[in-house]
Amino acid sequence: MTGVPLSWYLILSALLFALGVAGFLFRRNIITVFMSIELMLNAVNLSFVAFSYQLKQVNGHIFTFFVMVVAAAEAAVGLAIILTVFKNRETLNVDEVNSLKN
Amino acid sequence: MAAASVASALLAVTRKNPVHSMLWVLTLFLHVAGIFLLLGAEFLAAVQVIVYAGAILIFYIFVVMLLDLPDEEARPRFGKHWPLAAAVGLCFAALAWLVRAGTGVAPAATRLAAEGPPRGGLSAIGMALFGPFALPFEMASLLLLAAIVGAVVLARRRAAGP
Repeated sequence: MTGVPLSWYLILSALLFALGVAGFLFRRNIITVFMSIELMLNAVNLSFVAFSYQLKQVNGHIFTFFVMVVAAAEAAVGLAIILTVFKNRETLNVDEVNSLKN
Repeated sequence: MAAASVASALLAVTRKNPVHSMLWVLTLFLHVAGIFLLLGAEFLAAVQVIVYAGAILIFYIFVVMLLDLPDEEARPRFGKHWPLAAAVGLCFAALAWLVRAGTGVAPAATRLAAEGPPRGGLSAIGMALFGPFALPFEMASLLLLAAIVGAVVLARRRAAGP
């Protein structure tokens, strides 16, 4: 990173995070909503790594590693839930999955 | 690379077909891995490619193909309250811009980066991970085990049930 200031990375991270939030709120397909969550996690990872580079510490990398672990676990459980919901409700539209019964 | 990642994120959020949007997210992940590489985080770049692009995205694509999607494509892809969502997204972007414009953090930060070799090699991460971060590491493995068991239980219950 010769000459590229930290704030650029942070702006990129904020943009990606904003896109993730927008996708999370926009989309009605539950799989795409999940992918927006992954996008937000990735944006946060990016800012972690940028700060870690800036401050010459390895802690940000460790945190990013753990965020990736949590993202993998979340994807596994979340997609299993999606499969179950689809088998029960025959839909992936989050507007129609509005009941906790049955 | 940053512009490409933002463009692919935008496309990923707006594509109608979930498979298309997933492939755009894949390009986004690869670009973020490239940025990690530029930032001196080789190990994280490799993990990003292997775990995110290799495992998680393939998992998503499997689920999309397991489910029936043609009838989903015919539905409206955005909800009714999309102006609210657009407002929230714009608020985040405006916040980022304000923070960048309001604080002069960039020049000082650049000076700070000019000294010393960058950290983030494999050995540094390994030493930190098994030194002061050993307990969180074990907790992460426990979390993964719980996720595996939970996913299997959730996916099996319908197959074995009525």
